[in-house]
Amino acid sequence: MKLKLNLDKIAKGLGAERRGEVHAGSGHFGAMQLVAEVQARFRTPAGGGRSTDPSLSEKRLVSLAPRTLQRLEHLAGVMSEQGVTVGPLQIAALLLERAVSDADEATVGNLTRQRTG
Amino acid sequence: MLFIPSVERDGRTAIDQSHWVRAALELFGETFGGATAYPKAQGVWRDDEREGVLVFDEPVVVHCYLTPEAIENEGNLQQLASFCRRMGREANQGEIGLVIADEYFAIRDYTEPTP
Repeated sequence: MKLKLNLDKIAKGLGAERRGEVHAGSGHFGAMQLVAEVQARFRTPAGGGRSTDPSLSEKRLVSLAPRTLQRLEHLAGVMSEQGVTVGPLQIAALLLERAVSDADEATVGNLTRQRTG
Repeated sequence: MLFIPSVERDGRTAIDQSHWVRAALELFGETFGGATAYPKAQGVWRDDEREGVLVFDEPVVVHCYLTPEAIENEGNLQQLASFCRRMGREANQGEIGLVIADEYFAIRDYTEPTP
């Protein structure tokens, strides 16, 4: 349901000009939140090198679809443009952490059955 | 959503952006209950009063979730407007940009209203 605000009243209260409707792209704030999280968690070591998050201490081999890796590489490029040097698999680790914390057993069960048939 | 610029209208003179980000967060925290400032972005603004010259900067976007009642409240609007006018004056800005719901608002007149 679209929000009904009195935009003329807001403009008057702000002493502002209304310049028209604008729209953020889908996932806009999700992407901004990811940038903020990467900047907060990944710190460049004192001796230089790639930014790291010391809390990500466990290493496992995880299979990825080629399109997933491409997407991660694209996101790493976006981070780089924001001045944050972070690898695609480091971004994967952050997204995995977020997804796992939000996952419920029923959703995981459905996803697993879809994949294994 | 409020855009905190990084340079003055001339596109060259740096402003104390961290000061204004902090001040904006204090305002949104006190007036609306909270806000989040996102890392610097790449930005550009076309100065139509100066033959369309492009002003490039690295704005910080401050995002605040709020209720319709909160943003339509006269007192809250005055607080927000006063802050934007002050930033516009002291940071030498061509305009201060706000996005509320899906509407872009531009504050260009920084004169304080007479009581």
